[in-house]
Amino acid sequence: MPWDVIIFYLIAAVCITSAVGVVVANNPVHAGVFLVICFLNIAATFVMMGAEFLAVVQVIVYTGAILVLVLFVLMLVDPDDLPEFHTARPVQRVVGLLLGAILLLEVGAAILSRTVTGARGDATAQNIAAAGGNTQALGRVLYSDYLLAFEVVSLVLLVGVIGAIVLALPERLGEQISITRRGTISLGHPRGTDAALPAGPAGETPMVDRETPSPTPEPTTAGGRTLIMVTDPDERTTVGTRP
Amino acid sequence: MGELGVEHFLFLSAALFIIGMMGVLTRRNLLIIFMCVELMINAVNLSLVAFGWELDHLGGQGFAIFTIAVAAAEAAVGLAIILALSRRQKTMDVDEIRSLRD
Amino acid sequence: MPADMPLWLNFVVAFVIMNVLLVGMAYMTWFERKVMAAMQDRMGPTRTGPAGLLQPIADGIKLLGKEDLIPAAADKLVFFFAPLIIFVTAIVSVAVIPFGGTVEIFGADVNLFITDLNVGALYVLAFGSIGVYGIILGAYASANRFSLLGGLRAAAQVVSYEIILGLALVGVFMLSGSLSLREIMLTQQTELDLGPLALPNWFILSQPLAFVIYMIAAVAETNRAPFDLPEAETELVSGFHTEYSAFRFSFYFLGEYINMIVISLFAATLFLGGTDGPGSDAYWGLGILWLLLKTVAFLFFYVWLRTTLPRFRYDQLMGIAWKVLLPLVLLNIVVTAFIRLVGNGQVF
Repeated sequence: MPWDVIIFYLIAAVCITSAVGVVVANNPVHAGVFLVICFLNIAATFVMMGAEFLAVVQVIVYTGAILVLVLFVLMLVDPDDLPEFHTARPVQRVVGLLLGAILLLEVGAAILSRTVTGARGDATAQNIAAAGGNTQALGRVLYSDYLLAFEVVSLVLLVGVIGAIVLALPERLGEQISITRRGTISLGHPRGTDAALPAGPAGETPMVDRETPSPTPEPTTAGGRTLIMVTDPDERTTVGTRP
Repeated sequence: MGELGVEHFLFLSAALFIIGMMGVLTRRNLLIIFMCVELMINAVNLSLVAFGWELDHLGGQGFAIFTIAVAAAEAAVGLAIILALSRRQKTMDVDEIRSLRD
Repeated sequence: MPADMPLWLNFVVAFVIMNVLLVGMAYMTWFERKVMAAMQDRMGPTRTGPAGLLQPIADGIKLLGKEDLIPAAADKLVFFFAPLIIFVTAIVSVAVIPFGGTVEIFGADVNLFITDLNVGALYVLAFGSIGVYGIILGAYASANRFSLLGGLRAAAQVVSYEIILGLALVGVFMLSGSLSLREIMLTQQTELDLGPLALPNWFILSQPLAFVIYMIAAVAETNRAPFDLPEAETELVSGFHTEYSAFRFSFYFLGEYINMIVISLFAATLFLGGTDGPGSDAYWGLGILWLLLKTVAFLFFYVWLRTTLPRFRYDQLMGIAWKVLLPLVLLNIVVTAFIRLVGNGQVF
């Protein structure tokens, strides 16, 4: 067996094992770690197919940004909100497994019984080397043949950014924006540690306890110590003028 | 077994896609479902690049780059929705989130 | 063109470079303590060897001899592997940094770099972005609220500043037309055409704004003061590594310092011409010396910042990234692209 096939089987084995780990892991953080391993191995297969630029983009965007954000959200949400895996309906799991197995057989049969046909492109090894490498060749294609798609994708990204900001803003949008407010997720002030902190010189740290009782559930205790997580920056703070 | 061909990558891609699909079908944790969707997107990317590699065409890689960009936008919006849900509904269970249906 | 080296020779080069990096990291701690001491009118380490030169070795022995504590509530497997992630990713990044071209040593052609990737610059960024998992997972696995806050801060901070870091380099990529660090270094070894003035074509001269932004983002990316929010000891005990001790802690420590060195080497290669300097064309050893000198200058800058500036508040940190640095760096890209087009005669 040639070396590249052996390496491919190694990568594929790790990839599929960690993908299964994502699905069966009880702890969502473990699932996230498995997904990181899986994506890194997918990047490795990209390198095997000569797509170095895509591999690096995969690592930077997927493992470096998207999955970091997933872990970030995982740590922000209350662990009590997460449903347990084993309370899932057994019917659902059996049907899922069955459907998956059937689909895998079908796709496998399709792959084995057919060959790839179609017009061959001009991106042979010589042509790519002449363009200066994979990155340069890909850049040329992206900015000429796929220019329209490129612009549309940038528009999609812009819409995504705006959508994320709008969704992440608190509910009382009108009131909040009319008063100058620092719109960040407060990681600096765990609830309770500095409840009645006075406002800063420019009034920019409005960390005053709200008069109305907070609707949040009581902090859970672990090992006799109070564990406090802030899921909403506005739960413990009020904005603007101090009472 | 012999040469490294497009079939190897297509099989890997199919397996990853189906594992991700089974995760979406069986898990109820919103974040895990999100991760499984990302896994499926990656499996599709893998097959796109594999076809491009087989046919000496850079379109596969170009398309994969667009997929990654759209997936990034999807992740930003999706995670913002999940955060908003956890704030308001206090649950991550897809079976309990049905205020749109009821 | 890089010479074809036998595989064993490649391993020798990699071995030498990585060991130099580790020793450099050890003496970076000594350097930092000495410089900080001088700035604060203290002596710094003096007892161990002449001028405290054996201090890093003593520190290492002390760290290895300490008791290795694992919290009862910790996620043991993740707790064990998290420090390794940051250490390994930091040390692997150095593989694409060029320490010179191809030279002849004992009759054999030797490349003074481990590998020359077509996407070298992005490779360094990619491993930098994997490194943050060491912090996040370590913080999560410790089952400690201070650690968790530190990890959350690190995640948000690194994701934000990585965008700035990457975009700051786009101007350099546009001017050099390559992502390979070796090509970028070779581009800078020409002379800048400014009439009577003969200046080297270092990108710090043609991309000053990008350089400043890169330096700010690099400090934030390595979690150093004044951006050391993830381990802010006055508010979070020591942030993500609160529960770590002994050699597990030393991996975090090593990782942070190696990261600083790699980021400095990277900056020296991208903006200060790498090995370029008087006499570096004739003697390759002089080129390496120049590169190391530039790196030490960056490291001195890191220490200087640490002794001078107080820590940012968290909302200030995010505000700077998204409201100041991001618009500036986008402006830099637009202006650079426009000038490049004018230079090519494609506009006007």
